[in-house]
Amino acid sequence: MKKIAFSILSLATVGVITWSCSKSFLDRKPLGGLDATTLANKNGVEALLVGAYSVLDGFINGGGIFLGGWESSGTNWVYGSVVAGDAHKGSDAGDQPDINPIETFTATPTNNYFRIKYNLVYEGIARSNSVLKQLAAATDVSDADVKRITAEARFLRGHYHFEAKKMWNNVPYVDEKVTDFNLKNDADIWPLIEADIKNAYDNLPEIMSAKGRVNKWAAGALYAKALMFQRKYTEAKPILDAIYTTGKNAQGQKYALQAKFSANFNAETKNSTESVFAVQYSVNDGSNGGDNGGWGEVLNFPYTGGPGTCCGFFQPSQDLVNSYQVNATTGLPDPANYNSNEVKSDQTLRSADPFTPETGTLDARLDWTVGRRGIPFLDWGKHPGFNWIRDQAYSGPYAAIKNTYYKSQEKVLTDNTFWTAGVTANNYTLIRFADVILWLAECEVEGSNLEKARQLINEVRARAANPAGFVLDGAVPAANYKVGLYTTPFASQAAARTAVRFERKLEFAMEGHRFFDLVRWQVAATEINRILDYNGGVSNPSIINKRPYMGQANFTAGKHEYFPIPQAAIDRSVSGGVANIKQNPGY
Amino acid sequence: MKQKLLKSIGRAIPMLLFSMLLCTAAFAQRPISGKVVAANGQPVSGATVAVKGSNLATSTAPDGSFALSVPNDRSTLVVTYVGFDGIEVPITGLSSVNITLKERTSSLNEVVVTGYTSQAKKDITGSVAVVNTTDLKSIPQANAEAQLQGRAAGVNVTIDNRPGAGANVRIRGFASFGDNQPLYIIDGVPTGGLGGLNPNDIESMQVLKDAASASIYGARASNGVIVVTTKRGRQGGAKVAFNMYYGTQNPAQGFNLLNSQEMADLTFKSFRNANQPTPTTQYGSGANPVLPDYILPAGKFEGDPAVNPDLYNLDLNNINGSYLIHRANKVGTDWYDEITRNAPIQNYNLAVSGGGNKSRYMMSLDYFDQQAVIIESFFKRYTLRVNTEFNVKDNIRIGQNLQILVSEDNSVQNNGNNGEGTEIGFAYRNQPIIPVYDIKGNFAGSRAPTLGNSGNPVANRMRSKDNRGQNTSIFGNVYAEVDFLKHFTARTSFGGQINYGNYFFFGFKTYENSENNTGNTFTEGFNRFRSWTWTNTLAYKNTFKEKHDVQALIGTEAIEEWGRNIEGRRSNYFIEDLNFRALNSGGASGQVANGGPYTPAALFSIFGSVNYTFNDKYLASFTLRRDGSSRFGPNNRYGIFPSAAVGWRISRENFMRDVKWITDLKLRASWGQMGNQRINPANAFDQYLGGPGSSNYDLNGSSNSTIQGFQLSFVGNPDGKWETNETVNVGFDATLFGGKTEVIFDWYQKKTKDLLFRLAGFAYQGAGPVSNPAFVNVAGMNNTGIDLMITQRALIGGTKGVNLSGTLTFTTYKNEITELAEGIDFFETRGSRIGNFVRNAVGQPISSFFGYRVIGLFADAADVTKSPTQDAAAPGRFKYADIAGNPDGTPDGRITDADRTFLGSPNPDFSYGLQLNGAWKGFDLGVFFYGVQGKEAMNYVKWWTDFFPSFQGNKSKELLYNSWTPTNLGAKTPIAENLSNFSNNNAVNSYYLEDASFFRLKNLTVGYTLPSALTNKVKIDKARIYFQTTNLFTITKYTGLDPELIGADDAGGVDEGIYPTVKQFLFGVNINF
Repeated sequence: MKKIAFSILSLATVGVITWSCSKSFLDRKPLGGLDATTLANKNGVEALLVGAYSVLDGFINGGGIFLGGWESSGTNWVYGSVVAGDAHKGSDAGDQPDINPIETFTATPTNNYFRIKYNLVYEGIARSNSVLKQLAAATDVSDADVKRITAEARFLRGHYHFEAKKMWNNVPYVDEKVTDFNLKNDADIWPLIEADIKNAYDNLPEIMSAKGRVNKWAAGALYAKALMFQRKYTEAKPILDAIYTTGKNAQGQKYALQAKFSANFNAETKNSTESVFAVQYSVNDGSNGGDNGGWGEVLNFPYTGGPGTCCGFFQPSQDLVNSYQVNATTGLPDPANYNSNEVKSDQTLRSADPFTPETGTLDARLDWTVGRRGIPFLDWGKHPGFNWIRDQAYSGPYAAIKNTYYKSQEKVLTDNTFWTAGVTANNYTLIRFADVILWLAECEVEGSNLEKARQLINEVRARAANPAGFVLDGAVPAANYKVGLYTTPFASQAAARTAVRFERKLEFAMEGHRFFDLVRWQVAATEINRILDYNGGVSNPSIINKRPYMGQANFTAGKHEYFPIPQAAIDRSVSGGVANIKQNPGY
Repeated sequence: MKQKLLKSIGRAIPMLLFSMLLCTAAFAQRPISGKVVAANGQPVSGATVAVKGSNLATSTAPDGSFALSVPNDRSTLVVTYVGFDGIEVPITGLSSVNITLKERTSSLNEVVVTGYTSQAKKDITGSVAVVNTTDLKSIPQANAEAQLQGRAAGVNVTIDNRPGAGANVRIRGFASFGDNQPLYIIDGVPTGGLGGLNPNDIESMQVLKDAASASIYGARASNGVIVVTTKRGRQGGAKVAFNMYYGTQNPAQGFNLLNSQEMADLTFKSFRNANQPTPTTQYGSGANPVLPDYILPAGKFEGDPAVNPDLYNLDLNNINGSYLIHRANKVGTDWYDEITRNAPIQNYNLAVSGGGNKSRYMMSLDYFDQQAVIIESFFKRYTLRVNTEFNVKDNIRIGQNLQILVSEDNSVQNNGNNGEGTEIGFAYRNQPIIPVYDIKGNFAGSRAPTLGNSGNPVANRMRSKDNRGQNTSIFGNVYAEVDFLKHFTARTSFGGQINYGNYFFFGFKTYENSENNTGNTFTEGFNRFRSWTWTNTLAYKNTFKEKHDVQALIGTEAIEEWGRNIEGRRSNYFIEDLNFRALNSGGASGQVANGGPYTPAALFSIFGSVNYTFNDKYLASFTLRRDGSSRFGPNNRYGIFPSAAVGWRISRENFMRDVKWITDLKLRASWGQMGNQRINPANAFDQYLGGPGSSNYDLNGSSNSTIQGFQLSFVGNPDGKWETNETVNVGFDATLFGGKTEVIFDWYQKKTKDLLFRLAGFAYQGAGPVSNPAFVNVAGMNNTGIDLMITQRALIGGTKGVNLSGTLTFTTYKNEITELAEGIDFFETRGSRIGNFVRNAVGQPISSFFGYRVIGLFADAADVTKSPTQDAAAPGRFKYADIAGNPDGTPDGRITDADRTFLGSPNPDFSYGLQLNGAWKGFDLGVFFYGVQGKEAMNYVKWWTDFFPSFQGNKSKELLYNSWTPTNLGAKTPIAENLSNFSNNNAVNSYYLEDASFFRLKNLTVGYTLPSALTNKVKIDKARIYFQTTNLFTITKYTGLDPELIGADDAGGVDEGIYPTVKQFLFGVNINF
């Protein structure tokens, strides 16, 4: 009996010993990650701030997260340019089919593009809030740094909210104090966006430790932009005046237009004096196949043969190309009637068929914006037309160019380790000094200082007119370029308004701004329906280069100024049977 | 902590062993001898003769004789042999005994291993499926999970047909959105699956299905438990078994696609129907397409200066500038044919086993080599198993089981199974006019203009042939058992596994595609994983007053898992030579290094069970387990899982005595709770991470470097706990007609509550909750179903006549999601080029298909006008059903998101397996049918092949010949047009839905055993040769490659070009001596 007792005892002992240590045995902390307290110090907060900046490019890959891509590209090429009629989806009909309904104004709230963009901008907001939260807990940060870090984080938070606001209008505002994340979207968040960006404008220094950081003037420019979006021209004007006269970039160089228009779209000349605030792109930096480069635009190269290897998206429209026609005498555009004549295209022609490009007078910016047959495409040789186009019958003869890289930059300023070569280090400049000039011109127009406006518009046009900046075919201009200045006073405020708005179209085409400009000017319905009709071939049945599917599309005023709120965000907000997030009108 | 634990182990083991030694006792012994024969008088060789109540045993010689020593206090021998009923022989006063064995007519007395213990089948009150391992192993597969298909009622197995890949084994439907894999226990040691086990070494396999049988495994049991025991030696002389087979595998038919001329015709037709000018790049500018002699340069004919071979220039450093020439394949390349082949499969297994009075051993050496039916792809495996057991004393046994496995394949970076980027995907995405090779023997491809963007799958395979994935694993345990005081057995077992994996692959520059890789990369990674399990049990077994049988067990178990991995990549390799493929050789730019530890997981448990039988008639059993798991936060760290079961052998009642045809009938009922703890061990914690692609940023504007950043990457759920699954099971086991018929029937209901659901966080909280959310215990799911197994045996013409047997397994489950989370009625999965195919919704079974219902094609403009408003409606396009839209749920006259509906699901009504065996003289025949009924699939391949603008791949004959035209109004396929919109190829709808039921002859084997008179002359006990064919035919209405579609549990049944089931033809040999 003793033996039994002992053996049972010994077994029990094993159990009890194991048991007594089991509390710590079962306590396993995650490895490889950090908890919040580890980051609540100066280094941690600075690193979180870098993380908040890194969402600007619209793509996150790693660290447990895969989010974004072309759907959420910081350039807004789909939402800002395709939707405005600057360009078509491009490629072939079946690739990225989610863009088809967005382009034709039939998109529904379940369209994946909206969900991804929404998640991405709020990710940026959450990261900005992380900075502010940990900053509050940190004890080793100097007052100056607290002020600067707060300002940078609030600038970024303001920027991301601005993105949400212009996309969906009715969106929730999130700050670092929110603990219950089931938020409502029933308030106008402009005042909160303004407050965030103004804080940055008021508190940031002029010169920053790195080119890519926002400085006082960049914050001021975004602040003015937010005011412009609310048509608060009188409030925006003094800020723009200040930037125009005394603004400097983060390196302390006074803002100025680049001598050549094309320098704004070249990785070698990025962060210049014209770059007010840019999304920094880098490649070959140890990330996985160009995660920090122009991932959101990687689909938008010509299709085989030229730069990149894929995928022929984002093809400029005939309406856009026509816009660059100028009067042969004055060198001025004709905003009212530019579509009365069609710039010659090689639609229906193969690359082997003979073709002579348009010989009429054209704004020189066209060929830095649109790749077209017979014109040198950067240093890649002449665009051969059909052979670089994925499905000409479907998507037309043109290619995007501003996001592209030079052949000489291959593998140095591009990543070529992925399925598509050509993720570039060619920054997306979110705010160019040209923006500042033309916004200021808008303010002058609205304030009836038409001569001041004319002078500002001419400043931008003069740069475009610089022959040194023309696309050259050998030593001679590749086309019949002519950019004239407005030499006589505008006939009316309306004429000036038309001029400045059309100048924005020419200057910023394919840069993701056009749709949001049309909406803030409250002309989206008329302007877009006119373009839809033209590109669809309805208003001019004889045009060669048309997309019949566009002709069926229709922009509904009061609805399509804003995109539908992603259904997923609405579904997630249901509490007690009621959705806290309400859909936008009309959807 | 670790030190502390080691210390405690160090302290405990000697104590345990010491206590075991104390229990040793010695008794005087006497000799006994005898002979064992079968009913027909033939001697039985290899039968085990054991002394009851001890561990003394021997096995019979070829003439059936045996001899052994018996302790004086023992009075009974137990004689057992495979295929015969065990028998107890009293030997009191005898020194010699002749024993006659009866061939087994029922499996009632068969002892099977269940949770931590073993039981006679007749005493089991839970639902346990005993797998016939001979039938199981008759299917040539690398993985026993795949072999399990159709072998056990209540188990659904979907096979991944890639060599070396496993299968989805699902017991009684689905109980989780996370991991529905059963728990696998091999020789008492838990493991992730059977992929690391040589199937030839399996001795027995039991599937524990209900709570009564499985909940002793507590928080890991809710998906069922599969208990595997490997072979061990028996007493007697050394036995050698050699088994081999060699055969060929056939890839079967590919897709029914167009040839070159047909594709050209379709291209013209589709452009014209879209009012687009017909393209002339390849096919000329005439009214009808003309096939060119060359597709690169495009549309050229012989004699054209552009196709002068002297111009040919392939420069890998200037791929876009290269001048390549592709001759058109005017007949048409059959790309499926090009990437497939008849491939050999072979397996050799040599096992030696035996033992003496004091020790037993089993050693097995195995080589398995399966070449894939897809070219340049294989899986090889080498295993060595050594199992031994030693009787240290009469009542003390020490033993070990050990397997060393090395496997190798080249399927790394193959883009998986069932996707557009696989070789099979490229088989339908390539145009037929593209040849495999160009005029210089280099690869040809979609570089030829206007011919799509597919890769060349032959090139992909050829380039991948030297990629390697290698895995080395050590798996096993050591154990000690001591019997004491007649009724007690204490056992301790320490086991586990160590895995090392290594893989490397080279990404080549490509030149033949429209979308080329202009750079090369090399990636290599290592990973290491280990786990250990330490189990201690104390078992008690006794019979009181000859009527009360009691078996009890208590135990403790500790488990820990841990692992690390590392991966590096470099690019811009100077040359692509095989010998140059090392990380060190790569270019300086674009270096990537990744790696990290897995968060360790630990489990500590105490458990117990009691089985009580009164008079062999009334049975009851109880189990209880308390699990502590590190995977959950301190708030919910411990869970308790009880179960109870009762059984009634009604056939033992007096009133049943007269029912002669019922030999044995037992009614069973059980209830219990099981858990599922399989979630990320880091689920409870908020985590901040950083990474080059996720949070670093080039603040300095350098263009090629970043500054490190961090982000909140995961919002943890500290309140997480296991899913609890409550199961009720009612069933019966019947043995009829003296054992000729056996029926096992179960009905069950399985309700999962606190189901772990990855509830997407709010976007406003950070990306972790959106793209990688924490699990929260909010959802619920129900499964009900029946499992039925019927075995029938027949002997025609006496013992020398034809011996027939058949086994039917029948499985049903009905799954319903009962709850997701507040305000969340569904979540969608299985994304595609046109959106999600699957909606997992409350009130619907898991993985339900969701989309628009096609009610026909618009006949004409008038039809469009009179139908509900639909975006892009036009004659020849889909007409969708207007189902809802108004606030009250009635149709609103327009087709909107609200009109999408549930279209079906891949969950079958039932599945079944039928094994028929016959033996006559030396011949044996085995036939195995397997079928699944009432399952649906979304044939997403049709999106690629039935719509012209869904990328410019090859298209179906259906699209060219039987699509809608104004004169072909009865067509099912919409008009062929180069336009993409909501009403043709841009929405998930019922056009893709198909019935995927099937009936398959899985196995047909004919064997012949050479007469023993012949083989005995060369000292061979048994020699058998056989011919076998698997998957000879499948009857199905499904039009895709294979109706058996493996996929994620919550996203199954969507076909994008599945790796098909292959036909095999084999020759095999079994030799025992």
